[in-house]
Amino acid sequence: MDILANLSLGFGIALSPYTLMLAVVGCFIGTIVGALPGLGPSNGVAIMIPLTFSMGLDATAALVLLTAIYYGAMYGGRISSILLNIPGDEPALMTTLDGYPMAKAGRAGDALVISGFASFVGAFLATIGLMLLAPVLSNVAYQFGPAEYFALYLLAFATLGGISSKNQAKAALASCIGLMIAMIGLDPNSGLPRLTGGNLHLYDGIDFLVAIVGLFAVSEIFFFIESHGKSSAVGVTLDKVRVPWAEIWTTRWTMLRSSLVGFIAGILPGAGASLGSFMTYMMEKSIAGDKGKFGTGVAKGVAAPEAGNNAAAGGALVPMLTLGVPGSGTTAVLLAVLVTLNITPGPTLFTDRPDVVWGLIASLLIANFVLLVMNVPMVKIFVKILTVPPALLLPGVTMVSFVGIYSLTGSYFDLLLVVAFGVLGYLLRKLDIPTVPVIMGILLGHQMEKQLRDAMVLSDGDWTYLFSSGISTGLMIAAFLGFVAPIFLRRILSRPERVAD
Amino acid sequence: MSIKFLRALSTSAILSVAASSAMAAECIAPANPGGGWDFTCRQIGKILFDIGQVDAPVQVTNLAGAGGGLAFSTVVNERNDDPDLIVAASSATTTRLAQNAYGGATADQVRFVGAIGADPGVIVVAADSPFQSLGDLVDAIKADPSSVAFAGGSAVGGFDHLKPLQVLKAGGFDDITAVKYIGVDGGADAITQTVGGFTQAMTGDMSEIVGFIPTGDIRVLAVLTEERVPGFEDIPTAIEQGFDVVAVNWRGLYVPKDISDEQFEAWGAKLAAVAESDEWKQAMADNGLAPFTKVGGDFQSWIDGVVAQTEELSREIGVIQ
Amino acid sequence: MGRLSDRIFGLAVILVALVYIASAMQIQASFLSDPVGSKAFPILIASVAIICAVVMILRPDEEPEWPMAWTVVSIFISIALLVGYAYTLKPLGFLIPTAIVSGALSYQINPKPRFAVAAGLGLSIGLFVLFKYVLDLGLVPFPKGWF
Repeated sequence: MDILANLSLGFGIALSPYTLMLAVVGCFIGTIVGALPGLGPSNGVAIMIPLTFSMGLDATAALVLLTAIYYGAMYGGRISSILLNIPGDEPALMTTLDGYPMAKAGRAGDALVISGFASFVGAFLATIGLMLLAPVLSNVAYQFGPAEYFALYLLAFATLGGISSKNQAKAALASCIGLMIAMIGLDPNSGLPRLTGGNLHLYDGIDFLVAIVGLFAVSEIFFFIESHGKSSAVGVTLDKVRVPWAEIWTTRWTMLRSSLVGFIAGILPGAGASLGSFMTYMMEKSIAGDKGKFGTGVAKGVAAPEAGNNAAAGGALVPMLTLGVPGSGTTAVLLAVLVTLNITPGPTLFTDRPDVVWGLIASLLIANFVLLVMNVPMVKIFVKILTVPPALLLPGVTMVSFVGIYSLTGSYFDLLLVVAFGVLGYLLRKLDIPTVPVIMGILLGHQMEKQLRDAMVLSDGDWTYLFSSGISTGLMIAAFLGFVAPIFLRRILSRPERVAD
Repeated sequence: MSIKFLRALSTSAILSVAASSAMAAECIAPANPGGGWDFTCRQIGKILFDIGQVDAPVQVTNLAGAGGGLAFSTVVNERNDDPDLIVAASSATTTRLAQNAYGGATADQVRFVGAIGADPGVIVVAADSPFQSLGDLVDAIKADPSSVAFAGGSAVGGFDHLKPLQVLKAGGFDDITAVKYIGVDGGADAITQTVGGFTQAMTGDMSEIVGFIPTGDIRVLAVLTEERVPGFEDIPTAIEQGFDVVAVNWRGLYVPKDISDEQFEAWGAKLAAVAESDEWKQAMADNGLAPFTKVGGDFQSWIDGVVAQTEELSREIGVIQ
Repeated sequence: MGRLSDRIFGLAVILVALVYIASAMQIQASFLSDPVGSKAFPILIASVAIICAVVMILRPDEEPEWPMAWTVVSIFISIALLVGYAYTLKPLGFLIPTAIVSGALSYQINPKPRFAVAAGLGLSIGLFVLFKYVLDLGLVPFPKGWF
């Protein structure tokens, strides 16, 4: 595998002035969306997907734009974490632990620049890791038949809850809800409709974009109505922004270690960015010891989770691209992007569509540079975004979501479904039932069922076929352990709470 | 929504594709951009204009839905006498029509005006497979139908599934419901499953396997064309191995039913001109298509035969009742 | 006895899953059935869902903080508004429903009438310009036949 040749192929695609402009626009929009309080990468990208497709971009262009938005939102998420103590999404939670105290101590600018730099290092190293590792992994493709894929999907669902969920029953229930929704529509094997209740609108099944927009974006408005738009924003002001080179240099080992750990955490199916930022913060905290003063606003406390979570985001792309199994909520959204573009991630993606894979990798690298360059001088602009009142922001986001879906499908029925998913999302989140497994269920349900059915076709209905190879048995055992282990581990690993004002 | 956000989005004005202007002919691609039907419309539309067969560039409209069914019913119900309309079609169109997948629509509600290229069907095994010829494979299935499973890129009952069934019927094996087939996600996946040993043979299109031929991982048992395909002269046809089967994924067009015979023949002639052009020959070579030109009434009667045969086969395997 | 929410939700899931299993039983079997068929997987998944729901009922979590009664009312109003929006977007065009719904939503979040009216009008016109002229989406501004 000649990585340099492939990379130059990728840059050939991603470096055209047009796609470069898309990357810049995407990074800008993404940072804004990520910085908006309450909107993280998942719902940010979710809102933008339908709009991007309505614009009629080709596959590469759409991919570049959406990955730039995705990475931008990851960067943007830290702005509201640091300035408002409101994490845009769960991975950004750890950044508030030291970022907000730094901001309160009048060092908001330093915190933003350090975290921006750490994000860059984490994402950059992870992209390089992806480049080196993914082609190797894709060579195992020939070892994966229907039984192995079924076991792999099982593993993905079993580990989804992981240590981020407090209740395994609820995480598993969420997966089941998604899988049950996925079954609605035409049966892929017989072509006959099932579970549609005779409703013609349901014959084509429920579009996962509808579910994503409903669960992630529309449910948000109900939360804001509940809180009446009171944000806990304490007016942290941002004076001068300069680059604290010396301080960044002191965090160099922290960044490198965190990138490595984050990347590995990202590769594990179901673990994703939350685990990445959590593990790296705890690791650096224990390395620094009491003298490190973690939690009081130190540079390392900002650098570690940011490098960790961005590296994990890159790592999560490895199983997503090579096996078609997303490692986290945000990669699930990216997987949705690929599927909508008619690109099926999987072991054959690297040989079939090298243009897509290497174009994506190159555009990730480009997006990283653009974001680093954009984030230091322009941070003040993004900070202004935080002052948009929720009473204007949320109705706007809702309308954008609706029009995006409407212009994509042109169906009032899909809009009704968006509302229904919004209500479902509100209830699920209230009851502390994770919503990401629902999306994953809708996204992967068909494949999972199909692999099971194909396996049974090949074995003439012999169930032991599911355990016939070392890989499938190993994955099944890992799935079981991955589901059971957190129940015991959770007692040992208690996560630190967010700092109170 | 802040001014800045608006401004940011307005930057993307440059991205948006310019709206259409008044144009003469329209080609409907019944799928989203990027697929085979879209390719057919864009290539044929472009070449028609380049070689002067039409006065203005052909406008391509993507009308995706129900696997082409939405476009079909739109043409039948709303544009049934529009002489300036052409619609991209392929074997998938006729297979679905024959299997009643377009909600009651039938193939005689439009006129099939021509095909100007085809992706030949192939039957492939792994390089280390014991099957050396198509005959070996058919004999093994005759001896024990469950010993061979096929993988293909289309769903159960789809074109890739029907290909080996046609071969088996031609070889005198009639218990075709006993043949194992799994529909995977595209030809490359089907090859991966076959090379990995999970399935024993792969059924698909020539364009799906050309990339794998140089790797030495696969052996092509047969190509389902009348004659050997130019550029792949060492691959035998099924016919020369004693199985009288031609199954190609043709690329062509249909037009509305109620246009005049002159208008129908005129489109046929225009298509024939496209088929002759160097530009089309290049496009075929770039996309793994083999020459396959049938236009006008000739094509319509060939299609009628294909639809009847597909219907019969589908009934036998129980895809339709 | 507290912790009712998880129990009620668990019960609802069990009911839905039972209906789901019942309708999965009705799925027409195809001629060309594979060993697993169309019914098995849906039934399997719904059964797992029931097991999870039973666990939720037996071992419920802490009660979440539910909103006050009048907030619930305003959430229901906004659901009704959004449903209405879904039905009216096509017949009434973009501008009028968007202005009304976004204004009303704004009022629900922060009850300042003037701000809500301004937000409704501004969002409706601003987004229309954005979608129609910048992103080139095919939106209809007004009901058919007005202009």
